[in-house]
Amino acid sequence: MRASLGEKWFYIINNIVLALLGLTCLFPLINTIAIAFSDTAAIEAGRVSFYPIGWNTEAFTSLFTGTPIIGAFRNSVVITVIGVVLSMAATIMTAYPISRRIFYGRRFFTLAMVFTIMFSGGLIPTYLVVKSLGLMNSYFALWLPALVSTYNMLVMRTFFENIPSEIDDASRIDGCSELAYLLRIVLPLSLPVIATLTLFYGVTYWNTFLPVLIYIQDTGRFNLTVLVQNMIQSQNLLQELVNSGVTSGVQANVVPESLKAAGVLVIVLPMLAVYPFLQKFFVKGVMLGSVKG
Amino acid sequence: MATVRTSGNSAVMTEESAAAAELQRRMRQAARRRRWKANIPLMLLFIPGLLYYVLFKYVPMGGLIIAFKDYNFFDGVLDSPWVGMQNFETIFKQPQTLNIIRNTIVLSLLNVIVGFPFPILLAILLNEVRRTWYKRWIQTIVYLPHFFSWVIIGGFIFTLFATESGTINQLLKGWLAEPFPFLFNPGSWIAIYVGSGIWKEMGFSAIIYLAALTSIDPSLYESASLDGANKLQQIRHVTLPGISTTIVLLFILAMGRVMEVGFDHVYVLQNAVVSNVADVISTYMYRVGLQGAQFSLTTAMGLFESIVGLILVLSANALARRFDRGLW
Repeated sequence: MRASLGEKWFYIINNIVLALLGLTCLFPLINTIAIAFSDTAAIEAGRVSFYPIGWNTEAFTSLFTGTPIIGAFRNSVVITVIGVVLSMAATIMTAYPISRRIFYGRRFFTLAMVFTIMFSGGLIPTYLVVKSLGLMNSYFALWLPALVSTYNMLVMRTFFENIPSEIDDASRIDGCSELAYLLRIVLPLSLPVIATLTLFYGVTYWNTFLPVLIYIQDTGRFNLTVLVQNMIQSQNLLQELVNSGVTSGVQANVVPESLKAAGVLVIVLPMLAVYPFLQKFFVKGVMLGSVKG
Repeated sequence: MATVRTSGNSAVMTEESAAAAELQRRMRQAARRRRWKANIPLMLLFIPGLLYYVLFKYVPMGGLIIAFKDYNFFDGVLDSPWVGMQNFETIFKQPQTLNIIRNTIVLSLLNVIVGFPFPILLAILLNEVRRTWYKRWIQTIVYLPHFFSWVIIGGFIFTLFATESGTINQLLKGWLAEPFPFLFNPGSWIAIYVGSGIWKEMGFSAIIYLAALTSIDPSLYESASLDGANKLQQIRHVTLPGISTTIVLLFILAMGRVMEVGFDHVYVLQNAVVSNVADVISTYMYRVGLQGAQFSLTTAMGLFESIVGLILVLSANALARRFDRGLW
């Protein structure tokens, strides 16, 4: 069927609107990259928008030498990697029993867990529990209170439940135990949901902010989000960094704006590096989540 | 005839049925034992999760009793003196705390209502793209902001909207006599708050609508087009009715989240000048509760927030049930 003239116009306008939307989504990122690599004079004159003007990487040099950002990067990696492993293990171990029809108390436990989505003790009672367990200033204060996301757990349970029961029957006849069934059959069949939830947990831990703010007091143990947020908010800190170049004799080619932009980029870049590869997984994962539980 | 035969063999029958019953009983017992045996590894697996939910979900719920106490570190949660409803009275008497509750409701309502149509619109537009590669590219780009933390987005916003050095003010230089203080004006602060929420989640929320759109029968479009409907009429009369149940369901669920104003989003954008409209329950709990050690007062506020939230979710679900789409 050939498109009429009206339809042709519709498609053209539609494509343009979407391109503009895409640009709106990308522009802040592009602008930040441009500022991080631009010359001080160009930034101050406000001439930087889409691309760097006067190639300049000194913002990164001052950032790496003048702030503990490399340590914070390492902390973020530790928090994310160990956190994802712990959370995935706990999520699988919680979701598997309640996906089994034979499990005693299955309905009760499921309801009790779903209830925690709707009602919770909130910030302060949770803080008091963490404090009384002696977890302050330890990364376990970040991992343990966020160990299982109930929503993710339910997505995984639904996936487990949808594995055809014939597979279960057949493996029982072959004398497969519950544990062997989980490890050898259920988990290999669940790779899509495992990939999706690993991504979701990974993003959550990489971006974690409030827990670090309230549980970690030692500034050397801060992660990237908290360090960069402190940098963005504190004009004094940035000015000090800029001036530190002056005292050593040479004026560094940095302004607070380029330092902020560089800090933001340090958080974003690892995510941008893995994002294209993971995209096909999370779309599937959202679909899984939309399946009624 | 059948009765005759049964009565004739009744002695044999009872003996047989007794044996059958015995066998059945044994089988049931064996099945129960098998189930019990299969349950042992399941229970062992379940222990960490159970501990987690008890320790970090249900114990804090118990900790909510400090909302009715005057909590101090020395006496702890259990031994601090009871004060009844005093904390709640304080909250609902002070203009400052009332203002914070109002801000929470206003900002979240704006978020839910203003932000709601955007994912639908985006999904419909994406659905009308004919070139697959173009569609996939746009999707990749619009999903991206969902994965940025609010700290990153806060950084973007300061770069764009800062009063002196912000990109927008630099662009407006020719038209404005003075740079506009976007982040320090209550009206534009709220607009930036709501806009950034839309910017972050619009693409990702569109995924569900895109899934719903695939279930629309393509022949409906064909017949509509044969009847002379143009594209906009097709969207109006085929696409929208096709996803209306999803729209209604998601709207109801969104209403259930009205009391939720995320901490990070407000915290990174907030400043002292706009605190009159920008201070919400979660930031108040952090600042006054944790940093100011007003544990009981802010827990009372948190409890109020949780209870209103629970009522909203339950009534939202009851409403969704009417549409046969309840979550439980």
